[in-house]
Amino acid sequence: MVKLRAKCIVAGDPAVGKSALAQVFRSESAHFPKNYTLTTGVEVFVKSVSIPDTNDSVELFLLDSSGKEIFYDMVAKQWENSGALCLVYDITNEVSFNSCSKWLERARAQAPGGQLPAVLVGNKTDLAARRTVEYKEAEEWAASQGLEYFETSAKEMENYETPFHSLARAFHRMYEERVELVKSLV
Amino acid sequence: MGRRDVGAGAQLLLAASGDERFPPEGILDGNTETFWMTTGMFPQEFVISFPDLVQINNVKIHCFNVCGLSIETSLAKDPVDFELLCEKELLRSEDQLQVQEFEQREASARHLRFVIHSGFDHFVSVHKVSVEGEAAND
Repeated sequence: MVKLRAKCIVAGDPAVGKSALAQVFRSESAHFPKNYTLTTGVEVFVKSVSIPDTNDSVELFLLDSSGKEIFYDMVAKQWENSGALCLVYDITNEVSFNSCSKWLERARAQAPGGQLPAVLVGNKTDLAARRTVEYKEAEEWAASQGLEYFETSAKEMENYETPFHSLARAFHRMYEERVELVKSLV
Repeated sequence: MGRRDVGAGAQLLLAASGDERFPPEGILDGNTETFWMTTGMFPQEFVISFPDLVQINNVKIHCFNVCGLSIETSLAKDPVDFELLCEKELLRSEDQLQVQEFEQREASARHLRFVIHSGFDHFVSVHKVSVEGEAAND
């Protein structure tokens, strides 16, 4: 049995629903923030995820990070040595999708060895009528970057756990690979 | 008194993270095949305590993927009031363990704290620490 710990960056443009997603996940759908509040800097939530078929768990330290450029210097300091990335955009906002490569690059630059398990999340599926980014387009871009793709609605509490569970599993897998590597050296 | 290994009787007092398959005691058993594995996030640390005050001449560590490392000493009976002894950025090693020696002059300690500030990977391992010196009351 092992309890792993990972700093998990939640990043993306402003107002795509990063805080809503993080809060709904942390509270297990008990809490959706109805009013928008701009996140300044970084807010941290801790949430433990069990890894299926093992006794292991991954404690995710979610770094809900401001999407506003003005706070980025401050945010970047907190991102050092991150272990996972949840990259969020709004499916009704193409600009937020186009920004994803920028956020991904920034986060990867801060990860030890440049390796960072990451997922792409298209949020606000409750506004599907106003969708401007097609599922296939997002999925293809994600795949080209080695990311798994998920769509969620934090508001409707839909699918909000899946991206984080996927990240926890990827982090756990990476740990087991490293253990095997170290064993092979001695 | 000549130089000798003062590891006998030393104990591993604390480690910041752990997988029960790779307990921190593996650091002090003199064997590089047993190791302590960190389980995510930095900093990470472990404390080695000696039964008595020791004069340290040399500290040697076998590890993997450790980047920023500092060693601190405490003279107190309990492991408190640590002071920085030395710090270093280790070189990356791809397919063998990193081996780093720290030569010391006139460093005494009852406790040694090793703080790993960063790594070349998310997880790092420490395989062996050996301390050479003299028991201060020899």
